[in-house]
Amino acid sequence: MIDARGRLGPYLFLAPAILYLGIWIYYPIAKNFYLSFLGSDSTRTGDYYFVGLENYRKLLSDDLFHRALLHNLAWVGLSIVIPVVIGLVLAVLLVGRRGRLFYAAVFFLPVTVAPIMAAIVWGWIYNPTFGALNQLLDIIGLSGLSQPWLGDTGTALVAVNMIGSWGYYGFCALIFLAGLQSIDPEIYEAARIDGANSFQSFWSITLPLLRPTLMFVIVYTIIGSMKFFDIIYVATKGGPDNSTQIVAVYMFDLFIRQGEVTYAAAMSMVLTAIILLMSLVVIRNVMRRA
Amino acid sequence: MRNQLKRLASAIGTHGFLIIFVLISLFPVYLMFVTSLKSQAELIQNVFALPHDAKWDNYPLIVIQRGYYRAVINSLLFAGSVTIITIALSLLAAYAFAVFDFVGRQLLFVLVLVGLMVSEVSILIPVYQLLKSANLLNTFVGLVLPQIALGLSFGIFLMTTFFREVPKDLVDAARLDGCTDLQLLMKVMIPVGLPAISALAVIEFLWTWNSFFLPLVIATKQELMPLAVSIIDFMGRFTFNYELVATTCVIMFVPILILYILTQRSFRRGVTMGAVK
Repeated sequence: MIDARGRLGPYLFLAPAILYLGIWIYYPIAKNFYLSFLGSDSTRTGDYYFVGLENYRKLLSDDLFHRALLHNLAWVGLSIVIPVVIGLVLAVLLVGRRGRLFYAAVFFLPVTVAPIMAAIVWGWIYNPTFGALNQLLDIIGLSGLSQPWLGDTGTALVAVNMIGSWGYYGFCALIFLAGLQSIDPEIYEAARIDGANSFQSFWSITLPLLRPTLMFVIVYTIIGSMKFFDIIYVATKGGPDNSTQIVAVYMFDLFIRQGEVTYAAAMSMVLTAIILLMSLVVIRNVMRRA
Repeated sequence: MRNQLKRLASAIGTHGFLIIFVLISLFPVYLMFVTSLKSQAELIQNVFALPHDAKWDNYPLIVIQRGYYRAVINSLLFAGSVTIITIALSLLAAYAFAVFDFVGRQLLFVLVLVGLMVSEVSILIPVYQLLKSANLLNTFVGLVLPQIALGLSFGIFLMTTFFREVPKDLVDAARLDGCTDLQLLMKVMIPVGLPAISALAVIEFLWTWNSFFLPLVIATKQELMPLAVSIIDFMGRFTFNYELVATTCVIMFVPILILYILTQRSFRRGVTMGAVK
């Protein structure tokens, strides 16, 4: 390592990136925080004045916001139960198998599809008149289950989460696969000699050793579930009857369509706080290893 | 014998499961392609089948008559510029983090990591106001500038991780030969770091190409819209013209598909390096 005493070198190399993040990330977050304490009589004029915690008090009594936040939390749960578990199972099945890279490449393909495109195509799959899903149910004799998947308040949230899951399990599988490949096969060999079956060795070797990777994926999933926007905006716009409303879409609507700038700022601040809190977990892990 | 049967059954089960997920992964992409070639009547008759009489004329109709070539060019310029600038800034910063030891290094690295998590949702309102006051809404520069910030932390993190693995001897030898920092970066680190740089490049390009949230707000003029925004704009006007909407999707997806097939290793490296290291 080069001694830094009196040297400008490292700071010069860092300056462009840090300045850049300063203007486009740190300053906006600070400004957003500041805006969340302001209010105005007319939403269009932009004459703001200090209102203290008024916007946050409003959030506490805004039922739609509560529903939206609940949907975000449901999205966290669904995303951990469905794509993360599927990704883990796929990775466990693939590790050490011939052709694993081919399979992993195919599973990763949906990750490269733009979320807006996934939302459009799955919108057709769910379509009540020509949708592939209902036709498939017809073919296997379950036509009783046919329904307008995105149009029904009971099924819309899960249906729309399936779109997100489709674009996510391949990502999880790839990361788990890399994590699994870093586990020494001799450990499994030793366990086998000791008479462990494959379920036992998964439970007492794979899972503990995979813990850091698992941790990363789960935290990453939580953060992603807080900030996602594209799929809902395109597939349902939060509907029907707000059954898929999420915080990002609600906040976008408040800001762009209703001009409720400072209230929207408070709302995005809540998301930012949750995301930053979760990031601390990741950062602590990274710094420990750095 | 029983053991062999059991093993056979488990192999069949495993492959069956994998193949089901191969089908699930590919079906929507297949559907997008065939829908773009089918007439409305054929689509409603049988969504699964290949088109009887493929209607290729949707493509010239969309690209030329409807002016879609402009959105394609916008997306290429948009994703290309964001990728190049992100890489340049990332390389400089990562070099500092990996090679130097300096006061505030830890703190600055944490600041960068925070940027890794922050999303469009957290910065939308101030960024919009900032662009508005600088008269940059609905300009190419206004589209590019904030988008870079969203991927910059990832770039710095990825390149720092990689540069740290460069053998110290190599760095010391270059210094003894009288290399300045800039020369060391250009002549040693960048050539050694090429695999990581190409991984960063493809991922950054993909993200930007597919990004929607900020462009939706910043580019409201049709001449400026990248493909993602353009498709949604188009869909708003032709919702039920499925084959035309599918055609626009295919046009947006094919460049990514080609990139993905050509640079799979880079994709894999970029995605797993940040997570597992």
